[in-house]
Amino acid sequence: MSDMVLFQLTALALLAIGLFGMLSRRSLVGMLICVELMLNGAGLSIVAASQFAGTGEALGQAAALLVMGLAAAEATLVLVIILVVAKRFGNTESRAVSILKG
Amino acid sequence: MTQQLVVQISFALYALLIVGGGLWAVLDKSLVRALVGLILTLFGVAGMYLLMAAPLIALMQLLIYVGAVVVLIFFAIMLTRAPAGGEECDRLEPGRLVLALLGGLVPAAVLGFAIHKYAKAAKDVAGEIAPAVLGKVFLEPYVLAFELISGVLFVAMAGAVLLGFERRRAK
Repeated sequence: MSDMVLFQLTALALLAIGLFGMLSRRSLVGMLICVELMLNGAGLSIVAASQFAGTGEALGQAAALLVMGLAAAEATLVLVIILVVAKRFGNTESRAVSILKG
Repeated sequence: MTQQLVVQISFALYALLIVGGGLWAVLDKSLVRALVGLILTLFGVAGMYLLMAAPLIALMQLLIYVGAVVVLIFFAIMLTRAPAGGEECDRLEPGRLVLALLGGLVPAAVLGFAIHKYAKAAKDVAGEIAPAVLGKVFLEPYVLAFELISGVLFVAMAGAVLLGFERRRAK
């Protein structure tokens, strides 16, 4: 097994763990943690692919930095959304916000 | 030879940190402890970046994720402390657990098959680039992406402040 496959499998493990947590967690904060896990897997996969491809190392690292920037922006927004949900519904369980009102 | 061994041992250590921390983050009932698991995973991923000869990305990983995102999540836990203490108290019913396992493992199996079949590394040693090259990438051909990400960050921060204010005014 080449080095790149090992790194990719680690990234895949992060994706699987994140997806599992996303589906099994009840609270919104727990789901946010799982999203961060999956985004880390994505960054790891991108950098591994570019570092071992023989070309485009700079591009892969730049893409990983963009993923980190997006993750920071996403975490900020989700924090405020969680705050608003906690204010309106009294708790932060995903079940509490599963009903739409017309 | 010893260098090879050191690399293998540190890879195993980082992989253990990543998977163990990830499982801890997903399975622990207390959200604060889950956050500690996430921090372990983030450190493991930073170590992997170091192994791939991308030290700048490793540093950024520590700065942005451990420094900023984790603190944000901690604030989210702290500010929304539910009556139960911000924890997931009731147990997961078996049907839901099986579905979640399927949902996690099926995409991973498909992608794992693709990796097994198609991922061919062009070389065995990771290519190393100077940070200056990365700076040139951001400031010359990809300056639009660089500016857009700053725009996205600004809009996210402004939106967060706006939503926060609205929440207070409604009181």
